Amino acid sequence: MTAVLQIDQLCKSFVGVQALAGVSFAIEEGSITGLIGPNGSGKSTTIDCVSGFQTIDSGRVLLSGKDITGRPPQAVARAGLMRTFQTVRLYERFSLRDNLTIAAQQFDAAGWVDELLRTARYRDAAAAAETRASELLGLVGLSRYVDADAGVLSYGQKKLLALAAALMPRPALVVLDEPVAGVNPTRIREVEDILRGLNSAGQTFLVIEHNVEFITNLCRRVIVLDQGRKLAEGTPAEVHRDARVLEAYLGLTPETSATEMQGAT
Amino acid sequence: MKLLSAISAALLLGALPFFTSSNYVIGVAISACIFTAAAAALNLVYGYTGLLSFAQLGFWGIGGYATALTVMTFAGSFWLGLVWAALIDTAIALAIGYPAVRTNRHAFVIVTLAFALLVTLVARDWVSLTRGPLGIPGLPAPNLFGFEFKTTPLFYWIAYGYALLALGLLYALCTSRIGRTLVAIKQNEPLVRAQGISPVPYKLAAFAVGAAITGVGGGIYAFHLKIIDPLFLDFYYMQTFLIIVITGGAGSYWGVIAAGLIMSTLPEVLRFSADFRMIVYGVVLLLAVLAMPGGVGGWLHERRLARARAGLT
Repeated sequence: MTAVLQIDQLCKSFVGVQALAGVSFAIEEGSITGLIGPNGSGKSTTIDCVSGFQTIDSGRVLLSGKDITGRPPQAVARAGLMRTFQTVRLYERFSLRDNLTIAAQQFDAAGWVDELLRTARYRDAAAAAETRASELLGLVGLSRYVDADAGVLSYGQKKLLALAAALMPRPALVVLDEPVAGVNPTRIREVEDILRGLNSAGQTFLVIEHNVEFITNLCRRVIVLDQGRKLAEGTPAEVHRDARVLEAYLGLTPETSATEMQGAT
Repeated sequence: MKLLSAISAALLLGALPFFTSSNYVIGVAISACIFTAAAAALNLVYGYTGLLSFAQLGFWGIGGYATALTVMTFAGSFWLGLVWAALIDTAIALAIGYPAVRTNRHAFVIVTLAFALLVTLVARDWVSLTRGPLGIPGLPAPNLFGFEFKTTPLFYWIAYGYALLALGLLYALCTSRIGRTLVAIKQNEPLVRAQGISPVPYKLAAFAVGAAITGVGGGIYAFHLKIIDPLFLDFYYMQTFLIIVITGGAGSYWGVIAAGLIMSTLPEVLRFSADFRMIVYGVVLLLAVLAMPGGVGGWLHERRLARARAGLT
């Protein structure tokens, strides 16, 4: 198995706060990995550092073997990492179609001359993007809104659209920041199925979530962060049994956790 | 449909000198052409890209002075002057834009405003070049292969041709993926970057193209007035461009053109009441902005949105 993403000893401090104190982990190709941890544990800082939205104090980030440490977001994206945001980011005044096609435009062969002169290369690229956009809208169940502005969608639908946009250029790795936070519970299952389907088709995911049930159902591998350090890594079952995880993440002592876990299963 | 009505309107406007022999009416039409194109250039920078630039006034003035000086001091042709206006403005836009587009939007406003004020100072105080407050009078009629554009109707063709070229270029730009990317940058810059697109080259290009178009417009307008002095950098011009963009709807290509034609003729139409015309103009402006907060373009967009919503339920 080769690693799509490899993080070595990532450190980051904000004024007076050590947000990341040497975080290391690797994401294997074709995997679907969960990144969990209590509030302030460094999950979002980790992906902000990896995707270039935060500078890195020290450490190294490799994407498909290529060093992307400290590269700006646009360079990281071009190297093959697409991410979504915790507070969903979309072009609210663009149609769903445009929200998707724009996400792929940096990855096709058409340059600005092609764009201005509408050359055959531009038209081919635009047509390919449209096809891909309809496919993905079908996948996330938003086909009938294709011409509507993204702003009219519900919160859960917006998260699905952001997921589809991240998938547009067929990136090596998709990082989802809280894909089901604030989503109607009945729809969480749908998101789970969609992600599982994409993963079995070969798409690699790193998923940050507070919803432990969602992560447990979805991921074969879970990484737990606490206070800027990696606390544990393993299958969901292994992590659930880890006493330190239970204490840090669920605020449970080992004794109570045993009974809690029995109650849960 | 939109394109068809635009083409017929353009043909009609182009034929204006055949309908009227009034130099006054044609003079208003010359202003309308130039102001509309300059406002459309501001629309590219502000309406599409979201950069509120007061530097347009500086580019306007530099374009005017560059063209006038090329002809009067350096004995070049009017056309060469326009080329210089475009080149100098592009170079300056790249130079001040390079740091300015990296700042936040409020800082950008301040930087561009400071630049515009600086150009005014240079025009007034660099007396050995610009003759200061005396200005440069007697700008001659442009001449093309011996043909002199010496009457107002003939000069109108220059302004009209400029407006067509500028608006055509802006149309190609704004309706392409480049235009869409500019709007995307305005809406959500972090998302644009997360999708692999570097915003800085786009912002710089928009700023530079806007500067060049404004500069050429300034050059032509100076030769319409036949004199250039520091009053050419009066805030009146900036205000006109901005009013056109806001009433037309920032980011709406056709809305701004419609507003440009209306707003540059409205003060003239209101001349029947000399004392009250600017007051009436102000009231009309206020009512327009109250009725259509998003301008003409925003109003059309809202209607389209309402139809789409109705279709969904």
